[in-house]
Amino acid sequence: MLNFDWLAGVSQEAAKMVFLVLFVLIGVVILFIPNDYIFQGLEKKKRRWWNNLKLWAIGALALLFFTYYIF
Amino acid sequence: MLSGIDYFIVIAYIIGIMLLGFYFRRYIATSEDYFLGGRSLPFWAIGMSIVVSDIGAMDFVGVSGQAYRYGISVGNFDWIGSVPAMLLAAFIFIPYFWRGGMYTIPEYLGRRYNRHVRTIASLTWITFFAVDLGVLFWASAVLLNVLMGWPVWLSIMLTASVVGLYTYFGGITAVVMTDVVQLVIMFVGGLTLTFLGFHAVGGFDGLVDKISAMGPEYRSHFDLIQPSDTKTPFPWTGILFGLTFVMANAYMIGNQTIVQRCLTAKNEWHAKASMIFASGLKMLVPILVLFPGLMAIILHPGLEDGDQALPMMIKSILPPGLVGLMFSAFFAGLMSSVDSLLNSTATLFTKDIYEPFIKKGATDKHYLKVGKLTTLVLLIIGVATSPISGKFPGIYVAIQTFLSYFQGPLFAILLLGIFWKRTTQWGGLSGLLIGIGFATVLNTFKGAFFTIEDPFLYVSWWSFVVGFIITIAVSLFTSPHSEKRLEGLVFNATGKKNRSS
Repeated sequence: MLNFDWLAGVSQEAAKMVFLVLFVLIGVVILFIPNDYIFQGLEKKKRRWWNNLKLWAIGALALLFFTYYIF
Repeated sequence: MLSGIDYFIVIAYIIGIMLLGFYFRRYIATSEDYFLGGRSLPFWAIGMSIVVSDIGAMDFVGVSGQAYRYGISVGNFDWIGSVPAMLLAAFIFIPYFWRGGMYTIPEYLGRRYNRHVRTIASLTWITFFAVDLGVLFWASAVLLNVLMGWPVWLSIMLTASVVGLYTYFGGITAVVMTDVVQLVIMFVGGLTLTFLGFHAVGGFDGLVDKISAMGPEYRSHFDLIQPSDTKTPFPWTGILFGLTFVMANAYMIGNQTIVQRCLTAKNEWHAKASMIFASGLKMLVPILVLFPGLMAIILHPGLEDGDQALPMMIKSILPPGLVGLMFSAFFAGLMSSVDSLLNSTATLFTKDIYEPFIKKGATDKHYLKVGKLTTLVLLIIGVATSPISGKFPGIYVAIQTFLSYFQGPLFAILLLGIFWKRTTQWGGLSGLLIGIGFATVLNTFKGAFFTIEDPFLYVSWWSFVVGFIITIAVSLFTSPHSEKRLEGLVFNATGKKNRSS
């Protein structure tokens, strides 16, 4: 059990799907974070779309997704 | 290996870094300036510093060597082993640490649980960092001796003098700002090597075609996801459960050298942004350290020691001048690791041990002096103990193993502490101690429990599970904390109830 023998039957393709689904789930959760929380610390007038950290995070996740999709 | 121009570049780089770091001494007036940069630093500098602190001189050679042996799957450590954890840290943990005005992770554990948890966590990190310092000095100096022919003691004394000078006087501001330059040097050196390497092997398609044609043992060299019964140390089960769910989070959320940088941010947005910006940079790191190892399979096949891959690539690919730049990148890796260890250990000792146990209520000037003196003493200990690690060749691996004892249970109590308000001080203490004990047993008798050669990923996962269950069980049988005591320490979606500075 400690060696995860019970997962030995899972193919590499199925395992890859697990990782890709995980990235999508993280992305969805990030999208649900309230904007007020994301921008906390910035003055109202500086709250532009390019300072939206959700977009930064989705960008990093997209890079990760495509890297795992390709390899 | 080095020509005159290369020596000139390396020496100019070292002097430049020393002067730059020394310049920041003028910004140090209080202990907050020394340990937290006066909470004034921008996200881009912190983000670059986080990434560069994570890449040591040893990693350059080690990751290339592993890519030579096992292929692209070693990239999991910088990709899935960093990015999701950094996002979790950025959106959940860092804002709470920053708002609380904390200096150390154990300080959070002390407020959330009790002083025993704080002291155990702090002493564990201090011991790990102090021992690691000597080992790092020696291992990196030996590496530089092999690569550049520089005497071991010259590398140690040179690094100790330069890093010691700017870290002692400039505190974390000097550490972060010199890291920015060091990251630029690393990226320029690494990207140049990768670019010229791709040119030599016929581009990316040429790299894939040529390695795939080398035989069945290279068939999985371009598979990030390895089967669970793989011969490599990176089965997908270990990568998912041990690395993604536990070790990566424990490192990005519970490691003082990483988190302390985010606490220097000028506001909460910069604190979060620093970690997310760093996650984007982390995506690029394997390009610098992994691809040269893969290219060496074609250009230098049959190397007995995979760790020779990168030195051989530098020797055969880079022209004079760029070799000096690449060796400057090695020094950058060493210096950034040493300065991080020095400053973070001094912070842990001053805030978690000296202030509560040795001299409570002293003036800020006194704690600033203690922080500086601790930096100096640590440096001397690091240099003095470095030859000892030469007598124990396995000590580098032993230290990393020691860290894996601690990471799983630490992450379990951090996670429960911030997400579940029913977690109690005794639950946290029991989870931490029993989790560490369980990891020790698993590691000691690993031959009886595990079938793969180096099961550190599995040990992290199972010690996390045990720490998690014990924390919940003991918490349910002990008195819950009051709402007032938990204020600002437990996550809620908007953060409105938390202290805001």
